[in-house]
Amino acid sequence: MADAHLTNDEFFAQLASLFEHNRKTGHGTVYLTQKRLAYGTDASAEAKAEDPLWDAHPEQPLPILIRASNNKSSKRKGAGRPGSERDNATKTKTSTVVQPDQLEAFYVRYAEACRAGMSGLKKRDRTKKKKDKKKKKGAAGEVKG
Amino acid sequence: MPYLETSAEWYEQSSLLLKARPSTTRITSKYTVLKPSASKVSKRERFASKRSERGGSATGSPPPTVQNPEEPVATFKLKTYDPVSGTCLQYETNKAAEVGRLIGTLSRLGRHQAALPELPEDLTQAASAEGISTPVVESDQKLGAPAAEQKAAGGKKKKKGKK
Repeated sequence: MADAHLTNDEFFAQLASLFEHNRKTGHGTVYLTQKRLAYGTDASAEAKAEDPLWDAHPEQPLPILIRASNNKSSKRKGAGRPGSERDNATKTKTSTVVQPDQLEAFYVRYAEACRAGMSGLKKRDRTKKKKDKKKKKGAAGEVKG
Repeated sequence: MPYLETSAEWYEQSSLLLKARPSTTRITSKYTVLKPSASKVSKRERFASKRSERGGSATGSPPPTVQNPEEPVATFKLKTYDPVSGTCLQYETNKAAEVGRLIGTLSRLGRHQAALPELPEDLTQAASAEGISTPVVESDQKLGAPAAEQKAAGGKKKKKGKK
């Protein structure tokens, strides 16, 4: 990745704008990736050969790399064809590094951001359940009474 | 490249994979909104017309929620992938209610990735299987790293041939 990592605050701002863009266009994808940031901390080849599980027990907790991106989208030619109504959009990539001690706080914000951003998913359908509950309550009341 | 049935199963398998290969495994979550294809739209329209013909009286089920045939399809997909062994575990959902819980799962898996010990209170909030409860108990005895190592070797049958 050519771009430098953002701070966590900047990352959340970017993430929100990715989701916002997704909502505005009405279609598209947001990719989120997390992995251990082991770059620069790799053990030497000798150490690896000695202990095949060298990465299973690092000396100290390692930071985590979080990446976010959207999809590239390109307009198709020809009226009426699928994709002819969309705009060209370039791929946006952002990333941030979360230090192990900030992990909990980060994920709390992360969950909030994702819940707010993923508005296209199906909401919980409460109507049916409420009706069922009322029926059950009524039935139970009858039995008691 | 299996899709796992439940998120708990996905979490269990992913945590095992992370223990075995903590530095190469990555977790990708993909939120995607797609406009339905032309064939999907016509399928929905046919389904809706059939339903309205029947009227839903035969089964006595509640009146069907009217779905706009042009409504976009939104999915949330979680994927744990280890490029070295080629293991890929996936879970997909379309329910908004699950997102918060799944991010919580990601945070617990993130602790694996950061090589932090698991939190003991995770047990209470997890709708997870018993398999995960053992590592928590063992890591309480400050044997976090060796315990993880044993499990990586013993728990993962697929991962033979590492030593």
